[in-house]
Amino acid sequence: MSETAQRGGAIPPNSATPLVSLRDIRLTFGSHQALRGVDLDVMPGECLALLGDNAAGKSTLSKVISGTYIPDSGTITVQGEEVRFTGPNDARSRNIEMVFQDLALCDHIDVVGNLFLGRELNKGPFLDQKAMLARAQEMLEALEIRIPRLTARVEKLSGGQRQAIAIARAASFQPKVLIMDEPTSALAVAEVEAVLSLINRVKAKGVGVVLITHRLQDVFRVCDRAAIMYEGTKVAERMIADTNLEEIVNLITGGH
Amino acid sequence: MANYTERAKQSHAVEWLNDNAQVLSIALFFIACMGFFWALTDTFMTTGNLLNVVRQGAPVLIVAVAMTFVIMTAGIDLAVGSIVALINALAAILMANGFDWVTTSVMMLAAGAVVGLAQGWFISFQGIAAFIVTLAGMSILRGIALYITEGYSIPIKDQAGFFWLGRGTLAGIPVPAILAVLVAIIGFIIMRNTRYGRQVVAVGSNLEAARRVGMPARWIVCSVYMMSGIACAIAGLLIAARLGSGSSNAAVGFEMQVIAAVVLGGTSLMGGRGSILGTALGALTILIIGNGLILMHVSPFLTQIVTGVIILLAVWMNTRLFGAGFKLGKKG
Repeated sequence: MSETAQRGGAIPPNSATPLVSLRDIRLTFGSHQALRGVDLDVMPGECLALLGDNAAGKSTLSKVISGTYIPDSGTITVQGEEVRFTGPNDARSRNIEMVFQDLALCDHIDVVGNLFLGRELNKGPFLDQKAMLARAQEMLEALEIRIPRLTARVEKLSGGQRQAIAIARAASFQPKVLIMDEPTSALAVAEVEAVLSLINRVKAKGVGVVLITHRLQDVFRVCDRAAIMYEGTKVAERMIADTNLEEIVNLITGGH
Repeated sequence: MANYTERAKQSHAVEWLNDNAQVLSIALFFIACMGFFWALTDTFMTTGNLLNVVRQGAPVLIVAVAMTFVIMTAGIDLAVGSIVALINALAAILMANGFDWVTTSVMMLAAGAVVGLAQGWFISFQGIAAFIVTLAGMSILRGIALYITEGYSIPIKDQAGFFWLGRGTLAGIPVPAILAVLVAIIGFIIMRNTRYGRQVVAVGSNLEAARRVGMPARWIVCSVYMMSGIACAIAGLLIAARLGSGSSNAAVGFEMQVIAAVVLGGTSLMGGRGSILGTALGALTILIIGNGLILMHVSPFLTQIVTGVIILLAVWMNTRLFGAGFKLGKKG
């Protein structure tokens, strides 16, 4: 088996330069080989599905892109420039944002405060609450997210609203790459629809979206390309238009 | 086309009541206590008595403000009484050895900060539970105070400026009370309107989230214990200035009063939820209960029991009636 075939036979790149490209990323935790040489490209304006069974390495790979994990070897290139992340802040400063599976919201802080968490606007020594409220309204309007009251504490909101806020927070500070780990796993039907249409709107702005999910029906709704992981390697990559549910399931389970 | 379902908008009044339920509940309880003692004693509602209450209660209020920050991060500082005693004794010893009161006060504020930082370092950078670190601190620091004073009370002599801090008045209001109100106002503004205050709430609400958005989470946790140490130093100095002596037996049971005030004020021991306004009201409530029971000639042995029961009842009502699940305008 040739080297390329092992890494899943990447689809020939289109004309645009990838926003992020990973080459031969390897990461070991103790004796556990979490990632065994993964290549991945994220293109502008596309949604890339990262699929695979539990422990296939999807979340680990996404955390490498977002700077939470530092790979043992391999290169990360952001818009043609090779980078070395030392933490989540490095990735953030390169406009790579991540929505975590557990949302990472502060329940006791209001919607506005959560949207600006870690990026508070100041007016002299004090928080500029007025400016933050106004900007928050614009941010949510731009994503067509409707929250009745922006000064309500986040603990009072529904699961879907919380999800929307987590996504809005990541999507509103001009990200170029937006990684979402299981954004729809715990949501009701209407809420899933809202998140999916939100992904489409973000995509339309030229953002590269990486979607990690177990819900294959979502993949066929919003994604353009799927990368399938198995035991820490990328085993296949397919354009969504050229594949079907059966093939994807076979690739994930290794039953091909 | 998908939209979020929206509930009917509540009126602003109901929203405001829901957001401030905790503070309102302690405010009502405070007013009820005032009314109770006013009705049952002749002396409670006199200017002299009330000014005495705030003068004596100033240290509790000052430390309770700092303790609110500590508890907001889901921490606890059990050592506050011991720090107050240590500073109280040290200040008297320094002044007995010829230091003037200004130098002494500055040194004591620094000492409080150092002690607080040391506790904070063990808690945030070494990951030891705050309860354990400050329990050890409570024993060690009171022990140091006993050791250096050998158990004696040390008199402070000829420091008129210093005594004014503890005994003086400004426009008829005791100086310690003015200082305490200043500390409470500063604490209120920091908590509500500054980035640091927001960071404290965020760390207490969801430490991991705060870390992921790039907040210096460990430093924030460490810093609240330093603030607590500084507040204890102020309290220790005020007590020394009022009593004109320093003793290792100062502020016994102080930590319980302070923690009770904070919890009574609606601050959650789980972190994230709380307010300085609630703490101020909680501290005043604890103080007037202590004062009022004495004026009612209740046996001093009963006073402790009654205080404890009232605190338990108030906190119970607070969590049952105004807890997380509470919502005005919702039946069932």
